Amino acid sequence: MAREATPATEPLRVVGRAIPRHDARDKVEARTLYAADWQMPGMLHGAVLRSAYPSARIRRLDVSRAAALPGVAAVLTARDVPRNVLWTDVPGQTSEVGPLRARLVLLADGVVRYQGEPVALVAAETPEVAQRAVEAIDVEYEPLPGVFDPAAALAPGAPRVHEEGNLLARWQIRCGDVERALERADVVIDTTYRCQMVDHAYLEPEAGVAWVDADGVLTIRASTQVIEHFRDVAEVLGVPHNRVRVIAPYVGGGFGGKEDVTVEVFLGLLAWRTRRPVRMVWSRQESLLARAKRHPFVLRYRTGAARDGTLVAQRIELLGDAGAYAYLSALVLLYATVTACGPYRVPNAEVQARVAYTNNPPTSAMRGFGAMQMVLGYESQMDQLARRLGLDPVEVRARNALHKGDRLPVGQQIETRVAVIEAARRAWAGLGPRVAPRTPHHRVGRGLACNIQPYGRIVWLHDWASAWVGIEMDGSVVVRAGVPDIGGGQASALCQIASEVLGVEPAQVAIHIADSALTPLAGTTTATRQLYMSGNAVLAAARELRARVLEVAARLLEAPPGRVELREGAAVAPDGRRVALAQVMKECARLGVPRSHLGVYHAPAGDPVDLARGGRVFPDYTFGAHAVEVEVDTETGAVAVLRHVACHDVGRAINPQSVEGQIQGGAAMGLGYGLLEEVVVEAGVNLTTSLGTYLVPTALDLPDVEPVILESGDGKGPFGARGIGEPPVGPPAAAVANAIEDATGVRITELPITPERVARALGLLESPAPGRA
Amino acid sequence: MPAVPFDYHAPATLAEAVSLLGSLGEDAKPLAGGQSLLPLLTLRLVRPRAVVDLHRLDELRAVRRDGGTLEVGALVRHRALERGEGPLVLCPLLQEAAALIGNVRVRALGTIGGSLAHADPAAELPAAVRALDGTILVQGAAGARAIPAEEFFAGLLTTALRPDELLTAVRLPLPGPRTGHAVEEFSRRAGDFAIVAAFAVVQLDAAGRVAAARVALAGCGPTPRRLDAVERALVGLAPSEEEIRRVVAHRPLEIEPDSDVHASAAYRRHLAGVLTVRALARAAAGARAFGP
Ligand SMILES: Cc1cc2nc3c(=O)[nH]c(=O)nc-3n(C[C@H](O)[C@H](O)[C@H](O)COP(=O)(O)OP(=O)(O)OC[C@H]3O[C@@H](n4cnc5c(N)ncnc54)[C@H](O)[C@@H]3O)c2cc1C
Repeated sequence: MAREATPATEPLRVVGRAIPRHDARDKVEARTLYAADWQMPGMLHGAVLRSAYPSARIRRLDVSRAAALPGVAAVLTARDVPRNVLWTDVPGQTSEVGPLRARLVLLADGVVRYQGEPVALVAAETPEVAQRAVEAIDVEYEPLPGVFDPAAALAPGAPRVHEEGNLLARWQIRCGDVERALERADVVIDTTYRCQMVDHAYLEPEAGVAWVDADGVLTIRASTQVIEHFRDVAEVLGVPHNRVRVIAPYVGGGFGGKEDVTVEVFLGLLAWRTRRPVRMVWSRQESLLARAKRHPFVLRYRTGAARDGTLVAQRIELLGDAGAYAYLSALVLLYATVTACGPYRVPNAEVQARVAYTNNPPTSAMRGFGAMQMVLGYESQMDQLARRLGLDPVEVRARNALHKGDRLPVGQQIETRVAVIEAARRAWAGLGPRVAPRTPHHRVGRGLACNIQPYGRIVWLHDWASAWVGIEMDGSVVVRAGVPDIGGGQASALCQIASEVLGVEPAQVAIHIADSALTPLAGTTTATRQLYMSGNAVLAAARELRARVLEVAARLLEAPPGRVELREGAAVAPDGRRVALAQVMKECARLGVPRSHLGVYHAPAGDPVDLARGGRVFPDYTFGAHAVEVEVDTETGAVAVLRHVACHDVGRAINPQSVEGQIQGGAAMGLGYGLLEEVVVEAGVNLTTSLGTYLVPTALDLPDVEPVILESGDGKGPFGARGIGEPPVGPPAAAVANAIEDATGVRITELPITPERVARALGLLESPAPGRA
Repeated sequence: MPAVPFDYHAPATLAEAVSLLGSLGEDAKPLAGGQSLLPLLTLRLVRPRAVVDLHRLDELRAVRRDGGTLEVGALVRHRALERGEGPLVLCPLLQEAAALIGNVRVRALGTIGGSLAHADPAAELPAAVRALDGTILVQGAAGARAIPAEEFFAGLLTTALRPDELLTAVRLPLPGPRTGHAVEEFSRRAGDFAIVAAFAVVQLDAAGRVAAARVALAGCGPTPRRLDAVERALVGLAPSEEEIRRVVAHRPLEIEPDSDVHASAAYRRHLAGVLTVRALARAAAGARAFGP
C-alpha cells in the first residue's frame, strides 16, 4: 500500500492507524450471529410463492390445499395484508411524472409484473413443509403481453406496466450552448454504450427472524442496511410506528441490495398473524431471481473538444430500465444525471435522462447508484479523445480535471480538493514497467479511468444522524448508534473516533449498533454516508463529552482548564500529573455533570433544485482513478487483468486497513461488472438464477489490486474524511475497456466485456451477433 | 432449498445394488460423489423416490492394468485421476483432463463413473474417454455389458445405461510409443465447466509423421464429438502447427454447438477450431519429445 499523508491539524493517536476491526475475528471464527443464525423457541419458517410469469393476470388463487397441510400455520395473500402497498417518494423534474408513482405492491394483487414477484406467503413448522405448502398453492395465470426493453416501453402503443404509463422519471441538465459548441469543436466523439443488469450477489442472502415481544412490540432481526424500515412495516400492518422495532445484526454484504425492504415486511406479516416467531431465509435462487438489481443503461455520448484536448461540450442521453416497480429508480437516475460529465470541466453540457418501467426484474440501489454506470461513458470518451488527438491518457484528463471551486454542469460548486490529477498520475505510474505478451497471439495494453462519486445523501433529503457517547464509571466508553454494519467496518470506525477523542484504547470502547428501539437513529448505511454522517455525530458527541470531563478533571488536577488532555485512560496535566478517568467520572457523578451526550449531525441541506436551472445536489464528492494492464488473447478474445492500481482521495483514512478493503473489494466488484457478471433476462425470464450461470469473479480470476490512498485532509467527514464505500466500484470496467483498445485497437462499448464480444470486435466471428449479445 | 424427501439405501455389494435398482425402477437414482446429483436434488430439478448410495461398493474403486489396457473403477475420484495415483499415471490425458474439473473440493468427491453417467456435454471426462477410445463397463440385473464410448453417450445428459444398470468401470487402451496428448480448455472463470474443450491424442511413426490422431470436443453438441475428418486428414502429415492449422481450417468441424447464457453457437464453433489446433499442436509436440 502506498499512502500519501498530509500533516493533520492535530496530532492523532488512533485515527489513521490500521487497527484490526473488532468484528473481524468473530467473523473469521464463525462466532458472528448473522440474521439466519438466530433461533427462537417455537419458531416457524416462512417461504414466498413467486410468480412464474413476467406479465400475467392471476385468474385464480386458491390456498386451501396449502393451508390444510399438516404443519402449516398461515398462508397469506394480498387480501390478508392490511395495507398492501409501500410508497416511496419519487422526485421527478418534469410534470410528466407525478410524485406517487413509486407504489410497491407487497403481494401481487390480481396481476404480476415480473417473474418472481411475490404472490403469497407461508409460515410452517419446518422449511420442508413451508416449501411443500408453497408448491400446493394453486394459481392460474393468464399470460399478458409484456415489455422488456426500456426503449420499447416508451414507444407509442407499448403494453403498460402500470396504468400511469411507462415513463417513471426524467431529469435534465442544460448549461451553456451545446449545439454551438459541438459545431465549433475540433473533434466530436459520438458513441453509444450499453451496460447490463447485475446483481449484488452478496455472501449472505436475505434473511431474518421476527417475533412479537412480551411488550407487544413486533421485533424484526433482519439483514438490512436500513433499520428505519420499521416505519414501512408499521404502515403495512396499520399499527403505530413505535410498535415495530428492527434490529440489524452484522450484515453479510449489502451493496444496496438491502436498502429497500426485503424480508422485513413479510416476516412482520407472518409473525403478526401467527403470533409466533418466524424465520425467513431466501435461497440464492430467490435472491438472484427476484430481488431488485442494478440498472442497465444505454448511454449516448457526444463529446466535443478542442485540438489541445480541452473539452468544450458534452451532449448525453441516458435511458435506464427500472424493471417492474419504481423502488429508487428516480434517485438512481438523478445520480447518473448529475455525474454524467465525470470529474471534468465541461462549459457546455446537456444531459437528458429517462428511466422506464418494463416487465423485467426491478432495479434499485446498488453500490455506485447510477453514478458508477456513467464511468463507462465519460471515461471511454476521454480515451477515444486522447487517441484521436494523439495525447497521453493522463494528460488529456489533467487538462480537463475539475478543481476546488469549479462548478459541475448542474451548477454545484465543488467545495473541497479535487485530487483527480494526482490520482490518475499515481495509478498510472503504479503499473510499473510493461510486461511482454506471453505468446505471439497475445497482446498487452493499459487503460486508465477516473471517477466522481457523491458521498452523503441528496441535500434536499435533509439528512441527519445521531449517536450517543458515554463514559462508564470505570472509565470505559460506550457508543450507541443506529448504524447497520454491512461489513465495511462502519461500527469499528466509530469506536476509533470515540477512542481518539476520549483518549482511551479502541478496545476500551464498546459499541451497540442498529437497534431502532434502543440506539439513536443514524439513518441508512447507504450512499457512502455512515462514516461521514455518523462519524461526525460520534465526533460531536465525544467532543462535547470531553469538554465537560476536562473541566472537571482540570479542577481535580488544579491545572488551567484548556491545558489538560485525555490520554491512556487518564486526564493529564501539562506537568505530567494525571488522574484516572474512573476518578474523574466519580467526580462528575458527585457534581451532577452528565457522563454521556447525544450528538447530532446535520448534513448541508437545501431545497429541491430544478436541475435545468442548477444548484447544489450533494454534500460533496469523492474522486479517484484506476489503472489496469490487461492481456488479450487475439484468437479467443479472452481478457486477463494482469495488474490493477486503484487510487482514491479519502480525505483522511480513519482506518487505512478498512479503506484498503473498500478499495480492493470495490475494484473486484467493478472487474466482475466489467468482465463477467450479467443478469440475463430473456422476455422477462431470468436465465441466471444460480451462481453457476451468474458469474461472480473468484480470487482466481482477479489480480492483486494495489490500493493507493491519498489523504488531502479536505473532506466533510470526521477529521476531513470523505466516503469511500461506493467510489472504487466505478472505474474498473472503463479502465479495462480502455486497456483493450490500447492492446488491440478495438473499442468495446458494451458490458460485460465477454470474450465473445472481444472476439466479435476483433473480427474473429463471421456470423452476426445474436439478438442480445 | 431442501430436497424433496426420498428413501435412502446403501447396499453393501454390487449385486445387491443392482437388484435394488431393478426393483425400484425409474424412481431410483444411484448416488456416487454427489457433485452433480446433490445440486439437482436441492434445486428440486430431480425428485427421485429413492437414492441408492454406492459408497459401500469397494469393488468399484479398483484400478487395474491389464496388458495394454487400464481399467478404472466407477468410484475412482477425480482427485485420484488428477494426481495419477498408482497405475493411473499411465494415462496422462486423463490426468490433465481431471485437473480441469471444478475446484479441489469437487474433485475430492466427484467420481469418474458419476461424470460419465451424468454425461454433461461440457464435462471433461466423457470427452477424454472418447478421445481415448474407451469402453464403458456396466452391470445390470440381466448381466454385464461393455459399451464403446461412442455408443455410450446417447444425447444431452443421456447415456446407454438402463435404469437398472450401474456403471462399474471404464476400460482405456494405454498410449503406445511416440504418443502425445493435450487438453485445451476455454472457460469464463477458473474452475468453471468448459465453454469448449479439446482433447487430442497424436501418435507419430518413426519418421515423425502422424500414424494416428484423435481429437474429441466438449461443449460442442449434446454429446462429446470426435472430429473424424480432421483425424483422417492428419494421418501421414508432418504435424507442424501451420500444417495442423491448415488441416483444421479446411475441414468442416462435425459439431453442433448450442447457444446459452455463456456463449453463442457461433462463438463455440470458433473456439472449437482454435482449441483443436492448439491441442493437436501440443499433442504432436509431446509425441515428438519421445524421440524416434
Ligand atoms: C461447483 C462444481 C463445479 C463442477 N465443475 C465441473 C467441471 O468443470 N467439469 C466437470 O466435468 N464436472 C464438474 N462438476 C461435476 C462433477 O464433476 C461431478 O462430480 C460429476 O459430474 C458427477 O460425479 P459424481 O460422482 O459426483 O456423481 P453424482 O453426482 O453422485 O451422480 C451424477 C449422476 O450419475 C449417476 N451415477 C453416479 N454414479 C453412477 C454409476 N456408477 N452408475 C450409474 N449411474 C451413476 C447418478 O445417479 C446421477 O444421475 C462440478 C460440480 C460442482 C459442484
